[in-house]
Amino acid sequence: MSASATAESLTSLAARESRGGRRSAAAALVGPATIFVTIGLLLPIIILFRYSLNKFVPGRFMVDALTVENYILFFTDPYFLAAFYRTLRVAAVVTVICIVLAFPLAYKLARMESRYKNLLIMLVVLPLFVGNAVRAAGWMTLFGNKGFLNVTLEWLGLISEPIRIMYTEWAVIIGITAVNLPYVVLTLQSVIEGIDRAVEEAAYSLGANPWTMARRVLWPLALPGFAAGAIFCFILTMNAYATPVLLGGPQFVMMGPLVYVQFAVKNNWPFGAAVSFVLMSATLILTAAANIMVQRRYRG
Amino acid sequence: MARLELHQLSKHFGSTVAVREVSLDVGNGEFVVLLGPSGCGKTTTLRMIAGFVAPTGGTVRLAGQDVTALPPWKRNAGMVFQSYALFPHLTVEQNVAFGLEMRKVPTAEIAPRVAEALRLVRLGGLGERLPRQLSGGQQQRVALARALVIRPDVLLLDEPLSNLDAKLRETVRVEIRELQRQLDITTVMVTHDQEEALIMADRLVVMSDGAVRQVGTQRDLYERPADRFVAGFVGRSNLLTGRVVAPGRFQTAGGLTIACAGGAPGPSVIALRPERLAMGPAAAGLDNRLPGTVEIVSYLGASIDVHIRVSTADRVVVSQPNRADGRVPSEGDKIDVGWAASAAVVFADDAAATSA
Repeated sequence: MSASATAESLTSLAARESRGGRRSAAAALVGPATIFVTIGLLLPIIILFRYSLNKFVPGRFMVDALTVENYILFFTDPYFLAAFYRTLRVAAVVTVICIVLAFPLAYKLARMESRYKNLLIMLVVLPLFVGNAVRAAGWMTLFGNKGFLNVTLEWLGLISEPIRIMYTEWAVIIGITAVNLPYVVLTLQSVIEGIDRAVEEAAYSLGANPWTMARRVLWPLALPGFAAGAIFCFILTMNAYATPVLLGGPQFVMMGPLVYVQFAVKNNWPFGAAVSFVLMSATLILTAAANIMVQRRYRG
Repeated sequence: MARLELHQLSKHFGSTVAVREVSLDVGNGEFVVLLGPSGCGKTTTLRMIAGFVAPTGGTVRLAGQDVTALPPWKRNAGMVFQSYALFPHLTVEQNVAFGLEMRKVPTAEIAPRVAEALRLVRLGGLGERLPRQLSGGQQQRVALARALVIRPDVLLLDEPLSNLDAKLRETVRVEIRELQRQLDITTVMVTHDQEEALIMADRLVVMSDGAVRQVGTQRDLYERPADRFVAGFVGRSNLLTGRVVAPGRFQTAGGLTIACAGGAPGPSVIALRPERLAMGPAAAGLDNRLPGTVEIVSYLGASIDVHIRVSTADRVVVSQPNRADGRVPSEGDKIDVGWAASAAVVFADDAAATSA
C-alpha cells in the first residue's frame, strides 16, 4: 500500500509543482506588458489630469492649484468649442464615408478565392507604409491652386478659376479618409471572413434575394465588426494631427493640433492638459455609447 | 415534390473540367445519392441544381420548368448544408420561419407550419433556443426542418451527416430516410460514404473525375459494376489483372488460367467479391479451384478476412462469416480457394489499353 501511495503523492506533488511553475511563467510573460501599460500610459494620464487642475500664470508657467477653470474656459470660449465640434463633425463624416467605401471592397476581398488574394490585401495595406505627413504632402501637390487637379481641369477647360480645396474641411476629410480606409477595410474583411459563406447561400436557397440576404443575415452578423471598424476609424480621426495641420492650414483647428499648440507653443500646460482630457473623455464616452447600442441591438 | 432532370450538365473552371455532361432523371419522391471520392464533381453537381454554380453547359429542369438560368432564390429547392449554415443570430423558430417569410406566407400561417416542421424533426419545445445552444445532432435537425418547411420541389443534402459522430450518424440516416419516404419528397444527397449511400438511396450515381460512372440500384452496382472504378469503390473487390485469352478463359498476370463468364479478348481485369469466394473443402467442385497459402488472417467480428496467395503476382481476400462451428485457417496453411465462373465480373482494362 505504502509504495503505491507514495508514488501517487509524488506524482500529484509533481503535478502541483508544474502547475505552479506554469503560473509563474505566465506571470513572467504578462508582467512586462502590464508594467509598460502602467508606467507608460496610466501614470502619465493621472499626472496629466492633475496638471489640468493647475493654474497657468504667464511668466510663472504652472502654479499648483485645484481648480476647474481650465475646463470652464474651454466650454465657454467659442473658438475652442468650434474646434471641438469641428473635430466631432469631421470624425463622424470620415467614419461614415470609410464604412460605405470599405464595405464593398472588404466583402469582395473576404469572399475571394483567387491566388491573388494576398497580393490584393497587400495593396490595401501598402499606403500604410507611407507616413501620414508624407501622404498629406502628396495631397497638397494634388489639391493646391496650382496643383495637379486644378491644372488638369483648367487645361480641359472645365473651370476658369482654380477650385479651392486646400485648407478646407473637405481637404481634411478626404485626407483622413485616405489614411483610415485601409484599417477599416482590413477590420471589415476579417469580420466578413468569419461569417460562414454557406449562411448566405442558405438564405438564397430559402428565397432571399441578395438585398434581403444582406439586410436579414449579413448585416446583423457583421454588425459587431462594423462597430469595431467604425469606432477604430472614429478614434483615429478624433486624434488626427498631421493631416489637419497640413491640409487644413492654420485656420482649421482640430483637437489634436490644439493640444500641441497649448503645450509646445503657448507653454500653457494646465490648459493643454484640460483639452487633452476633453478629447479623451469625448472619445471614450462616444465609443462606450456605440458599444452599448450595438450590444443592445444584438440582444434584442 | 417533383421530377428533377439534368441534361448533359457540365462545369468547366478554366481548363479543368469539374463536371462532364451529367444526365440524370430523378423521379417524383425518389431518393438519389451522388457517390464518389472527393473532387469527383458530386458537390459541384448539387450546387448547380441549387443554383449556386452556373453550369457551363446543359440544363436543369425542376418540376417541368427549365431553371438553368434562375438564381437560387427563384428555385424551389430546400438545401441542408454540410455545416448546417443555421443563422446564428436567429432562434430555432426564426430560422425555420425564414423561408416562409421570404415566400410571403401569411403571418397567421407561419407559426403552425414552423411548429409542425419542428415536431416532424422531434425538436418541439426548443424553438426559443439559439443554434449555438443546441447539440450538433439538434442543429442538423433544425437545418432539415428549415429546408422542409418551405415544401421544396427537391430536397438537396450536402454531406448532411459528416459532422455527426459515428453512433448518431447511424440513427440519423435512418430518420432522414423515413422522413423522406413519409413526405414523399424528391431528394438528392451527396456523400463520399458508401455505407451511408447504400442505406439511404433508392438509386445511386457513382461519379469520378467529373463524370457519371454508373447509375443504378445498390444491387446493380454491387452485382454488375460497370467498370473497374465502381467495382473498387462500391463494396470491396479482389481485382486480378491479366488478359482474356479466349472466350471464357482469363490468364492472370501471375500466369494462372481462370474460367470466367464473357469478356472480350485483350487486357482485362477480373473483379471478385471476397464473400463469393470459398476456401478449403467448400471450394471443391467449383469452376475455379486454386491451391494457395494463407498469408494474413484478420478477425473482424462478424466476419473473418483471409488473405490467400495463389501465385507470385496474385493474392485474393476471402471473407468468411464468423460462425461458431467455423474453422479458421492459420497463417502459413496450405488451402484451396474456389469460385463459380459466374461470380467474376470481367472488364476491359482501360488503364492497360491506354498505356499500351
